[in-house]
Amino acid sequence: MCILIIADIKNNQINPATAELFTAANTIAKDIITPVYLLIPCNDVKITSNYRPDVKTIVIGMSIYNYNAQGLSKAIASIAHDIDAHYIIGLHTPFTIDFLPSISIEYNAHCITQVHTIQHDEHLTFVRGSCSGKLDQYIDIDNKPVIASIAPGSFDEYIADDTDNSINDTINDTINEVTQITIAAAEKQLCTFITKENKDSSLDEADIIIGVGKGIGSKDNLTLIYNFAKIFPHSAVAGSRIVCDYGWLPYSKQVGITGKSIAPRVYIACAISGSSQHIAGIKGAKTIIAINKDNDAPIFNISHYGVVEDIFTFIPQFLEYVKRL
Amino acid sequence: MSIPYKILVCIKQVPDANAKIYLEKTKPHYDEKTVYVINRYDEYALEEALQLKDKGLTHYIHTISAGPDRIQKALRRSLEMGADEAYHIVTGDDDCAIPYYVAQCITDFAKNEYDIILTGVMSQDAMNQQTGQLIASMLGYNYATGVTGIQTNNDVITVTRELDAQTSMQYALKIPCVIAVQSSSIIPRYPSLSNVLRAKKQHIGMIKPIMSSQVQYHSFYTIPQKTTECEFIQGRTDQKVVELYKILHRNAVV
Repeated sequence: MCILIIADIKNNQINPATAELFTAANTIAKDIITPVYLLIPCNDVKITSNYRPDVKTIVIGMSIYNYNAQGLSKAIASIAHDIDAHYIIGLHTPFTIDFLPSISIEYNAHCITQVHTIQHDEHLTFVRGSCSGKLDQYIDIDNKPVIASIAPGSFDEYIADDTDNSINDTINDTINEVTQITIAAAEKQLCTFITKENKDSSLDEADIIIGVGKGIGSKDNLTLIYNFAKIFPHSAVAGSRIVCDYGWLPYSKQVGITGKSIAPRVYIACAISGSSQHIAGIKGAKTIIAINKDNDAPIFNISHYGVVEDIFTFIPQFLEYVKRL
Repeated sequence: MSIPYKILVCIKQVPDANAKIYLEKTKPHYDEKTVYVINRYDEYALEEALQLKDKGLTHYIHTISAGPDRIQKALRRSLEMGADEAYHIVTGDDDCAIPYYVAQCITDFAKNEYDIILTGVMSQDAMNQQTGQLIASMLGYNYATGVTGIQTNNDVITVTRELDAQTSMQYALKIPCVIAVQSSSIIPRYPSLSNVLRAKKQHIGMIKPIMSSQVQYHSFYTIPQKTTECEFIQGRTDQKVVELYKILHRNAVV
């Protein structure tokens, strides 16, 4: 048995967060020495990150410009069968989640998506957010292979360590061996990539980011948030996806799995409930403060400080207080 | 398999964002006052179908949903928005249905009847994000997920798939296909009065689900563990204001 890690692709290169999957694989393997394979879904992507070149690597002979989810998932299923993979794991990103669940069809297996924790004591249990993040769902599957997508930011990046021989030793003989698997021409599509130029780097540069959720109610009400942000030098305003869908903020200000990941010194979540989609984008923030009138809001589970208040009463009072200082 | 397209839109009824949830033993339980709505991403999927109808590319939009009797409200709403027929796969009141099973039920209903099957990219409650992929793979159709744009040119459907805030991918999908729609700046429409009146009289087709799936797992639910010990700022509002200011000061942002 072995673990098959699917490299995620971002901007035509391997997403550095793929390194988190090696840590997840270690949790799955626990004390049992388990070979790990890395599968790169396209053969023309740049390999720039430190993704552990010591593991056996399989490259799918498909250009990213010929991407086809159906062909890719079938190819991965056949490889997984050949190497007897008991676990197939990928990152939960728009790129990978497009084809990962389809692998399960070939096995009548189940795909567990958006896993944020893997528990390995007596049983191996995958934990994912459900019910809009208000509950965690624990899933335990007997059948193999188990296919899972892991929410980015859930595991630390794997850093190779001399004392760690749980994975390395068994696969020394296969170092850097690359296998190419090709995909039938009939299954290739002609893809173009569209990159929106974004000169807005405010979210990368800000020391403090004020995030706003649907609870703000209207574009006009955003004035309150802008005034709040003005108190802080080097601040920026960001939003959840729905706020951008409504056109209240541009998509360049969207934070979450389908938007930006941010790492400011302080993030203040205003009226944001904290879906797993949003939370995945704010894990890099050093201090997270949540202001929400619902004390059950999942955002408080990952916050350092919580203020249970309605933003429409609390923020004006805060502004008033600062003015008087 | 050409214009006018036969379209199926898969919708899920979900508790609205403010619903209070409880644990009943190890299963989620919503209180009786819970308001149920159409999953937000499925509304975008339906809107995409309705825009194809506006362009004269279809006059055949069916909606389908699996669940207990209460989901008929969501199906009725889809008719009010402009769907032509609605079908209800009658399953139990199980908020934790396994996506594989739901996909099997829909696949069994859809068979080879539709040119385009639309779904939301995920449900806002369970967030499994895989039903569209599973339906496509079970039927052997081409598909795309995270779609924020659908362009049509005769028999060619070109989708725009969002990869992140900056990057999208575009390609043509051969029909029949499955498209899982991501929310975007198009606003799903409100029902028109004429559609509301028409929908009142419409019959919703009842469909028997397939026998239970061979794909099973053990699952239970808990209140999420906190990854940080959140320090709740206590006191009256004005005291909280002062306390928050101090915290921000300590973190050197003011």
